[in-house]
Amino acid sequence: MDLNTLKTQFEQDKQNHPEKIQLDWLGRNGKLNTFFSNLNIEDKKILGQKFNQFKIEIENYIDLQLSKILDNAIKHPTKKFSQNIISLPKVGHLHPITQTERQLNEVFRKLGFSIYSSPEIVTDEFNFTRLNVPQNHPARDMQDTIYIKEPEYLLRTQTSTIESYLLQAESKNLPIRTAFPGSVYRNEKVNRSNHFVFHQYQAVVVDKGITMKDLIGTMDLMFKTLYGSKVVVRYRCKYYPEVEPGVGPDMQCFSCHGRGCPLCKYAGWIEMGGSGMIHPKVLEAAGIDPKIWTGFAFGMGLDRWTMAQNDIKDIRTLRGGNLAYKPNL
Amino acid sequence: MKLIYSELKKILPTLSVKPEQLRDDITMIGHFTNYFEEIDSEIVFDLDIKVNRGDCLGYYGLARDLSVFYNLPLVLPEELKISSNSFQLPIKVTTDKVKRIMALKISELKNSPSPDWLQKFVKLHSINSVNTLVDLTNYIMLLYGIPVHAFDTALSQDKLIWEINSKFTEFTSLDKTKLSLTKDILMVNSPDKALSLSFWGGEACAISPQTSNAIIEIAVYDRTTVRQNSRQLKSVTEAGTRLEKDLDPDLIPQALNHLTSLILKNCGGEINSSIFDYYPNKSDIPSIEFNPQNVSLLVGIDIPADFSIDILNRLGCSVVKKPESGFLITPPSLRPDITLEADLIEEVIRFWGYQKIPTTQVLKYKKLPDITPKIIYLIEELKDKLVALGYDEVLTWPLVNQALNPKTIITTQNSINSECIYLRQSLVQSLKQQLDQYRRFKLPQAQFFEIGKIFSQQNGQYIEKNSLGIYNHDSSQLTSDLEKLNLKADIIESNFTEIILDDLPKPELYIPVPLSSKAIELTSQIITLDANLTLEEKIESSKLIEKYSHLIDPKILWSIQITDIYHDTKLNKYRYTFRVSYYNCNDKIAKKIHLTAFNLDKILSC
Repeated sequence: MDLNTLKTQFEQDKQNHPEKIQLDWLGRNGKLNTFFSNLNIEDKKILGQKFNQFKIEIENYIDLQLSKILDNAIKHPTKKFSQNIISLPKVGHLHPITQTERQLNEVFRKLGFSIYSSPEIVTDEFNFTRLNVPQNHPARDMQDTIYIKEPEYLLRTQTSTIESYLLQAESKNLPIRTAFPGSVYRNEKVNRSNHFVFHQYQAVVVDKGITMKDLIGTMDLMFKTLYGSKVVVRYRCKYYPEVEPGVGPDMQCFSCHGRGCPLCKYAGWIEMGGSGMIHPKVLEAAGIDPKIWTGFAFGMGLDRWTMAQNDIKDIRTLRGGNLAYKPNL
Repeated sequence: MKLIYSELKKILPTLSVKPEQLRDDITMIGHFTNYFEEIDSEIVFDLDIKVNRGDCLGYYGLARDLSVFYNLPLVLPEELKISSNSFQLPIKVTTDKVKRIMALKISELKNSPSPDWLQKFVKLHSINSVNTLVDLTNYIMLLYGIPVHAFDTALSQDKLIWEINSKFTEFTSLDKTKLSLTKDILMVNSPDKALSLSFWGGEACAISPQTSNAIIEIAVYDRTTVRQNSRQLKSVTEAGTRLEKDLDPDLIPQALNHLTSLILKNCGGEINSSIFDYYPNKSDIPSIEFNPQNVSLLVGIDIPADFSIDILNRLGCSVVKKPESGFLITPPSLRPDITLEADLIEEVIRFWGYQKIPTTQVLKYKKLPDITPKIIYLIEELKDKLVALGYDEVLTWPLVNQALNPKTIITTQNSINSECIYLRQSLVQSLKQQLDQYRRFKLPQAQFFEIGKIFSQQNGQYIEKNSLGIYNHDSSQLTSDLEKLNLKADIIESNFTEIILDDLPKPELYIPVPLSSKAIELTSQIITLDANLTLEEKIESSKLIEKYSHLIDPKILWSIQITDIYHDTKLNKYRYTFRVSYYNCNDKIAKKIHLTAFNLDKILSC
C-alpha cells in the first residue's frame, strides 16, 4: 500500500468520531504505525518527511474535531446560561505592548498630540542622514542595522526615523505635536535579553518658543503616568546626533531606591531613553527654519517596562513566544 | 574609557570630592558612568564617552571638563626643552589622509620591563604590559587621547612612508594577527616592508627589549579613512577607536613633548633627530555667533549672561564681544564637536546643571489639526472589537523562513540568522508559528489575532500593507465573528484568516479606552484534568464554577468549565463534569490539587 492509498482511507474514516480516529490511526497498533513499520529502509528515507506531514495533518484534524465537539457542548453564560454545560465567557486581551502604547497615547492626546506612523522599510537618508548622522559617522556604530539593499534600503532602527518622515511631510503645516509607537529593528542575536525587533515610543513637538523646560516637564508627566507619581527621575546631559542639547532621563532604581544593586549595576539609576531639543540641522534637512521654530523629541523603549509590569523574564516571550492570557480574566 | 582617580588628581591636584560624588557629577555633565570599583588599591571608573567627544578618550579632555565644573586649576606637566640635533628624518607623506604627524628619533635607549607604576597603570586600563617604551606610548595615548607609535629603526629604517597601500598584500600586527590588505588602506611603510596600519602597529618593526634606536610618532588622520579601514579589516583597536573620532592635531606637540621626557627619564637615550612636523593644512576654527539670551530662551529659565560667558572662557573658547550685540565665540581646537550656537548652549547648560531645570512645566493643551493617519483609527477600532469577541492579541516575528511568492519576496541582506531571511508576505505565516508555540504549551481553545505589516516588492518598489490575521480553533465561530465585524477575508486557510486593512473604509476618529490586563509568560505546559461531581440536587452551574474556582490557588488555575451535566433519573442525582486547566505547576502538583479540590482523594481512598 502506498501513502496516497492511506490518505484516501483516512478521508473515508473522517466520518468516524475523532476519538475512534485517534485510536485507529495514531494508536500503537494504528494504521500509521503499521504502514510505516512495513516500509523498507530506503522507502522510509524517501517517504519519511511526507509521512510526518500526514501524521501532523491527522493530529490537527483530530484536535479540531475534538474542540468542535467540546465547544458545541459549552454554552456561554450570556447566551444559554441555564443549560447544562457552562464556562465563564472567553475574555479577549490586548498585547501588553499595545496596553502601554495606549496608556501613553492617552496622555499625549490630552495635550493635543496626533498619533503618527510611517514605513518600516526606510532609506538611509531618513534613518541616518536627515538625523544628523552622515555616512561613516561613528554614531552609526550605536545601531546594528538590518539591510534590505545596502546601503540604501534598511529596516528602521529607531522611531526617530518616523520623526524624519513626519518633519518632511508636515514642514509646511507647523506647529505640530505628534506621538508615535513603533517597531524597530536591529541586527541583534535573539536571546533572553535581546531581540532583533523591539518597541519604542517617541513624541515630537515643533512650535515657536518650545523650551527644554517644556521637554523635561512633559517627559516627567510621561514617567509619572507609567511609573506612578512618586517616581524619581534625573535629567542629565546625553549625546544623540539628532538633538542638541541632548537629555538623558534616568529613573531611580525601583529595586534599591538609589542605594545601588545588581539590577542598576550599583549606580542607583536606570537609563530610560533619550531626548533633547531637535538639532537645527535636522530641522533644516526638512526645510524648517531653526531660527523661527524649535522643538523637542523624546523616545523610550517599551519592552523592558512592559516586561517588568507583567513579570516577564524573557524578552522573546513578547513576540511569537509563550505569552498567553487567562481566558476568563 | 577607564579612569583612575589618583591619575586624574595628578592633573587636578585640588580635586577633593568623594568617588561617589565624582561618579554622579561626571555623569551629569555627559560622561556616563555606572559605577567605580577598587582595584589594586586604586579607585577606577568606567566611563561611557559620547561618540562626539574624542577628546575625552584621554585624561586630559576629561580633566578639562571637570576643571570647568569644579572651577579647579588644571596642572599640566612641565614642558621639556627638547635639544634636538639637526638630523632630519627622511619621512615621506604621499597621501592627503594625514592631518598632522610629529616624529622624533631617540637613540642609545635602554629598554626594559616597565616600572611598577607604569605596569599598574596600563593593566588597570586592561592593556597588557610589554616593555617600558611600548607602555609609555600607551600611557601617553590614554593621557591625551591620541594614539602613539614607536618603530624600532633597526627593523624599519629611518625612511618611513605614510601612504595609501599600493603594493603590500599582507600585514602582521603586533599581536601576530595576519591580515590581507587591499589597495586602499592607509599605512606607514618602509620602502620594502609593510610596517604599520594607521590604527595598529606591525610586527615587522615591533619594539623589543633589545631596541636601542626608535622613531616615535604621533599622528592624526582623516577619521573617515581610519573608520573605513578598521571596518574593512574587521579590526577594532584602542588606537582605531580614537583615530576614527575628530582629534585635535594641536595637542600633538604637548603629547610628544611629554612622551619624550618620559622616555628619556625611564629609558635613557638621546634625541637623535630634529622634530619632524608635517601639518599641511592647519585650518582656522570658525567663530560662532552667540547671544547669551538664547540660552535662557532655549532652556526656558533665566541663566545670566555672565555665567554663560564665564563657562565658555573656562572651556578655553576665545570670546569676543561684538560691537552691536552678542559675541563671537571661537571654540578651542580640542573641541571640534562645537560648531553651532546650539552646541555652545549645551556647554553652558551642562555646567549650569540639568537638574536645575524644573520638571513641573508640562506643555499646555493646544488645539491643532489632527494629522493621525486614519488607518491608525481603524486598527485601534478593530483591536477593541476583536478583544470584545474574546480574541487575544499577539505579536509575531516579521522575519520568516519561507517565501510564499518568490517573485515578490523581500530578502534581508544581513538577517539575524541564516534561516529567517525573508520579510513575511502574510500574517498567517507568523500566526501558524504562534499556534505551534501554543500547542507546545497545550494551551486550550486558542483564539488570537495580530495586526501588523506584511511586505512585498514590485517593479523595484517595496510595498508595506497593514494586515489583520486571525486564528480561531473553531472555524465556524471565526466565520461568524467575521460577519459580526463586517469583514470579508482575503485569505481563509482552515482556521486562519487574513484581511488587508489599507483599502477598507476607515473611521474619521476612534479614541480607544486604555485596557489593562495581565499577560502571563508560560514556562510549562498547561495541564487539563476532568473531575466528576455527583450532587443530590441541581445547583446553578455558575455558582459551582465560582465555588470551585475559589478552592484552587489563582496562581495555578488557568480555567474551569463544566462540560457535562448528567441527570440520573433513577437515583435522582446530578453528575457534573468539570474540566480544569492548571498552569505554573507540574503534572504531579496539578493532580494533587485537582484531587483535593474536588474531594476525589477521599473518594479514591475509600
